[in-house]
Parts: sequence; C-alpha cells; structure tokens
Amino acid sequence: MDREGAETHLRLLAEAAMRGSLTHTPEPWAPGASRMLVVGHALTAVGALDPVTAEEILTDFNLAVSVRKLHGEPDQGLGRAVTLARWLTQGRAVLHTESFEAGPPEDDAGQARPGRFVPVGLTVPFRAGAISGELCLMSFAQTGTGARFIAAWGVRTPALEPRLGRQHPGLIPFDLFTVTDDRGATYQLDHTPGGDLEWPDEITLRPAPPEDIRWLDIAPPYRQPARVDLRPSGSPGGPGGSGEAGDQAQVSETGLSPGEHLLVMLAERLLTGAPEFPRGGLLAARHAGPRRAMAAGFGDIIAALEAADVLSPLSPVPARLATLCASLDVDGHGIGVPPAHDMPEPWLSLLAHYQRRKPDPVQMRDGYAALAAPLPELDGLRLTLLGLEHTEGSSFVHALVQGQTPDPQPGPLDVDLNFPLSLWLRDSGGRWHLGCPDRWNRGGRESTVRLRLVPSLTRPADWVEVLAGGRSAEARARLPLRWRYPS
Amino acid sequence: MTDAPNGPWFTALPPCEALVPCGQGRHTVRWEAGEFRLPGHADPEAELVLAALGGEKARCVEIAEAWGRHVADLTVLGIGPRSPADEIVVSWDDVEVAAQAATSGTGWGLPRHGPMRLASAPTAAIARAAIWRRQYQQEAGQASRRRLDMLSLLALGSGFQIRLIGQVIAAHADRPDEPGEHGHSIRPALQAALAGRIAPVAERWLGIDPDQVAVSLHRGPGWGSVELTGRGQRRRLLVSLPAWWLARVWACGLALAGRHLVVAVERAGWPDARVLAVRAPGAEPVSLSAHGVDGPPGTSGAPHWEI
Repeated sequence: MDREGAETHLRLLAEAAMRGSLTHTPEPWAPGASRMLVVGHALTAVGALDPVTAEEILTDFNLAVSVRKLHGEPDQGLGRAVTLARWLTQGRAVLHTESFEAGPPEDDAGQARPGRFVPVGLTVPFRAGAISGELCLMSFAQTGTGARFIAAWGVRTPALEPRLGRQHPGLIPFDLFTVTDDRGATYQLDHTPGGDLEWPDEITLRPAPPEDIRWLDIAPPYRQPARVDLRPSGSPGGPGGSGEAGDQAQVSETGLSPGEHLLVMLAERLLTGAPEFPRGGLLAARHAGPRRAMAAGFGDIIAALEAADVLSPLSPVPARLATLCASLDVDGHGIGVPPAHDMPEPWLSLLAHYQRRKPDPVQMRDGYAALAAPLPELDGLRLTLLGLEHTEGSSFVHALVQGQTPDPQPGPLDVDLNFPLSLWLRDSGGRWHLGCPDRWNRGGRESTVRLRLVPSLTRPADWVEVLAGGRSAEARARLPLRWRYPS
Repeated sequence: MTDAPNGPWFTALPPCEALVPCGQGRHTVRWEAGEFRLPGHADPEAELVLAALGGEKARCVEIAEAWGRHVADLTVLGIGPRSPADEIVVSWDDVEVAAQAATSGTGWGLPRHGPMRLASAPTAAIARAAIWRRQYQQEAGQASRRRLDMLSLLALGSGFQIRLIGQVIAAHADRPDEPGEHGHSIRPALQAALAGRIAPVAERWLGIDPDQVAVSLHRGPGWGSVELTGRGQRRRLLVSLPAWWLARVWACGLALAGRHLVVAVERAGWPDARVLAVRAPGAEPVSLSAHGVDGPPGTSGAPHWEI
C-alpha cells in the first residue's frame, strides 16, 4: 500500500480542481469538491489515507476555492461570488466521525464465545384489550452480551390491518408477556436498549438466562404459554433436527486486494440501487440520474486506488464494473478499461432480473422462516443468520454481527462501510438475492442488522444457498427453510 | 540545492510593502530579505509584552505574529496563489468582519445550543459529552484562528502571498523526507505545490494543457529534467524539479523568462541574476543573464524579469 501515493493523488486532484479542470459537473460552490470527496472516502475506506489528512486536504481545498470567490461576480458560472459569511461558516470537510459513542467496554471472555443460536419458528398469538396479533419467533440468540429473540410482530387494532414487521412499536405489548424457564425463573421481554425503535424485531430477554436452560415458556396475556425448546437440534429429547441451522459452511479464499474489495462493494451498491425494470421507458429515465451520478465517481476511484497501490492495473474487477454500468445503461462512469465477460454468477442473476420487462405475477404471502446459522469468521467478523422474513412484498434477512466493525463513517458513494461483507442468497429456484443493510442495532463488538433482499423473494424457497464474501475469503452454506404464516 | 551556493533563496526578490489599518491610522508593513518588519512600530516586542498584560494588541503586531505562525505551514501552499493570474483579493474590511465574527462566536461553526435537559442524566454520557464539547470547541477555536490568520495574510496582497509561499518552501525544501506535523511525509504537499504552479507556467511556455503536465519532485544532484512524450491526448510534459525551485525561481518571478523555462538560479541577485533555463523540453539548459523590473507603483507582486 502506497500511502504517500494516495495522499499525493488526492492533493494533485485538488490542484486540478483549482485549475478548473474538474468543472464539467455543475457545482456552484467548490467545483470538483464532490469528486475529491468521493476519492477521499475511497482512499480512507481502504486505509491508504488517514481520515484526518484527507479531511485537512478537503478543508484547505474548500478554503482555497472560497477565498478566491470572496469578490467574484455573482452568477458568473463557476466564478460565483462567495459571501464572507460563507467563508467564515464553512467547517471541516466531513470524512470521519469523531463523536461515535461506542457501547460500554465488553467482557473479552464473553466476546470470545460465539454464543448459543437456536432456530425457533413459533407463532404466539396474543390479545391485550383492543390490540391483538401474533408474535412470530424466528430465533433465539444468546451471547456474551445477553439473550434475545429475533421476531416479527403482527399487530392488529380496530384501525390497523395486521401486517408482519411494519408496526407501530408503541403498540407492541412487550410487558404483558411472561417468560419462564425450566427452573421456574422469570424474565421480561423488552425492546433492545438503545436499539432502533422503528425496528422492534430484536427482543431482549432480561435478565439474561443461564446458558444451560432447556426451554422457555412464553405466555401471552390470559393464554397458555408456548414452549421454546432451546436444546441443540438433534440432542436427546431436543428438537427433531429440522436442519434450520443448515449444513457445514464451506470456506474458500478470495484474495481480493483492498481496492478490489471496495469496488465489489460499489458494484453491489449499484446493483441494489438499480430500479426495477430499467428498460421500461419513463421509469428508467426518472431513475437514471442517481445511478449515473454514483457511477460518475468510478473512474476517479479506480485511478486513486491504483495510485495508492491497492488495486492492480491488471485486476479484472474494474472491467466487470464497466460491464455492470453498461448493462444498467449507466454512462459517464469514467472507467478506462473495456467491459469484461467473466461476470460473477450472482451479478448476472441480478442483471437478468433487472432486464425483465414485467414483474413476477406471483406475490408471496407474508411469512417468516426460522434460521440460526453461524457462518465462519470472515475478515474478523462472525455473521450468524437469525431469520428470514417476507412482508409487504419485501424480504429481509436478520443477522448478528460479532467482531470489530469499522467506526461509523461515510463510505464513497453511499457504500456502507460498517458492513464490509457481501451477503448473497440463492433461492431454490436458482435466483440470487443481495442483502443490503437497512436497520442496525449497534453494540461495541456485537450488532444486529436487518438486510433487505434485492430482489425480494417471489416464492417461499425450500432452501437458500448463502454466499457471504469478505476481502480474504468467502463462505457458502445451504440452509433448508420452513416457512410459517401468521393468520 | 540549498541556500548555500548563491545566497539565500530571496536574494533575487525585492522588498515589498503593504498598508495595514492599525489603531486610528494605517501603518506600513514590510517584507525584506526574508524578514517581516513593522516600520510603523518602534518596539513591537514591547507591545507584545503589554498585550500579554492585558493591553490591546496592535493589528500590525497581530499580523506579524500570524506571519510567524505560518512561515512553515504547508497548508499555505494549498491556499496561496498558483500564478500571477491567480489573484486572491481580500480586503481589510473582510478581515474586520471575520475578526468580529471570531470574537462573537457567530459563524465559526460553534453550535449554540440551549441548555440540555435530561430526565435522568447519565453521568458517563454527560462526561463524554463534556469532553467531546471541549474538544470540539478547542478544534473549532483553532480552526477559526487559522482562518483568520490566513485571511489577514492574504489581505497583505499578492507580494506577501508569494513571499510567504517562498518562506514555507524554504522551511522544508532541504528535508522533504522528514515527517511533517502529523508524522506523515511532507513530499505529497510539496509535490502538489510544485505541480499546481508548474502547470500554468508550462501552459504559457508551450501552450500545453495543464492537465497534461506530470510533475515529480527531483531528488539528488542536478537541476532535474523536463521532457515531452506522446502525442495528442497522450502527450505529457514530464517535469522533475526540486522543491527549492518554488522558492528560488517561482516565488522570485523567474519561472518563465524570455520564452525559456528557468530551472535553477546560478547567481541570485536583485535586479541582476544569472539563471539556468531551457528553451524547449529535452534541450540542454543554458546560462542566461536576467534583469529584474519591479512592478508598477502600487503593485507589489513578483517582479518581472527580462533576459
């Protein structure tokens, strides 16, 4: 990795912008600033440039541009005048977040234990006054930081249609459930402290139960309890071995360079950001702008990654990215190599989906499938899949992420650097679906994440093949699914 | 290349002056032979002592302090002018407004929240917030001071702006491989400073697109190299010069003289100097005599040289 080359590249880009060489995008304030920001993000994301240095370069660039416009003529294109107030108020370019409030220091011993993960697959009906519905338990996960259920709620009131997942969290009667273990100890269900209030699917069990309890009885108000068997699948007297934990995962090396890994993340961001049926005339035209704006930074990023020596000029990934852009009708990406033909199978599957002209006529019912599938550690992160959910036409995977995720910081072109893994699912019909994080409950070294599948499932798959990819390795596992549907 | 062979880097630079509003009047400040001087103040050091004891600090003295704070500040290279055509015009009214804003705390990025009330105040969170806020205020204060400094120095005019760049280069040019303020290499900043200033010179010299100029910092003996390669869009002017070129040649206004690119100064002096210059890329440099002409009255930028 050539850190000096990375910094030099960003500084030279600033010089080009100062000359006005980067002015073909209309940026009235600091021409070229957005391209510099994208490159700065990319170089910091791969660790070639520290965020403080990148921020200083961008800040000085902004100062240099603005001071030249203090007495410019108004409305003269790029020479637009800048008021002194603007000069004064401009702060630092934001490239990193210093005020991230990490969770409390955690017990290392607790972190070392991967935990107990049990697929549940139990629907618990409830009624509390005018509110009724179902608590759909997908999985139970107990780690060093505590115990929780991953669940979907179906809540109905006289005014609300029952739907899985999309609830008004205030209506969920956590406190009316009673939970008892096989030794008679009682527990409370609660919203995850500090968690995303709009995402009540992670239900904390307080206090954390002993690790060797055999079952939990969950009793809704005025109803018989439903029993959650926590013994390992296949153990004597335990659950019958539904296989929802899946087969042993296969791990293989990927050997991506940091630059290639970032480009793969960008490609996947482009894939998940593509509209449905882009060749559909007006719809495509309306959605082309954001994708084109995103892809406009690709050439700059590739040049910067090569300058930082984190991307080989012989790497096949830029050519694949060019193919992706061409397939999605995105031009102006600035990638200097011709498109390639050796595309990864999941990318091709998703492209094929986008190039269909009609939506799938079959609509899948709202439902969920229990999962408890720990995957091998990838790049220092352990991912455990804890449930699949389909609601209102959207499909989601719930997962626990253990390990040190990067501090929250913006990635280039809206890439989520906090989840530096790819997660693909191939359904039993052969279609690939890409998971993109859309909800987080963050902890210091342990977080839960909900990943939206793109495209959504259209049929209740009998199984899914999971492909989790990191920079150094990827893991594959086949997981059988049993779908359950609330009433 | 160092200061040693033919005198300090500024030997080929005439003095320059500016008028600064100070107290009830306007005082002259002067740069001469690498020194920032305050002829309007008999004893600036005594004034500094008085200011430290609570007295009012004269604007001239403040500017002299700002100059001292930034004579080795590499960020000056990123903000200051790239060429004579790159005029940065800052008025003393601008500086006044900026100073008032800095004093009042408005407009300098400090968030002005009302008192925060928590139903039950978690001690650790409050402590963290207090630490963060102190750090933020400290950083914001430093940033606002730096911006005010920079604005004041730019208000001195292009002559001082260019000479400050020369001073900054002189502070670092002999040690490009030593780490900078944050422990990182300073070569990227020096290379970018060179690239940003040689590119417009090359455009005037050859008519080449400045984006086609590739610049590197020359290391080792000799003056460096200038070569032209490729054709059309692939045409590149490859320039390798030492960081000293920025101080000894560019800051002294010698970069382009008589259709020659000046690559080094053989004998510095004002108004007569001897320079090493190339007529065309790839050509051997020739030794030329240059005669300097000060700018018209009222201007104090880099001098003009004739071969």
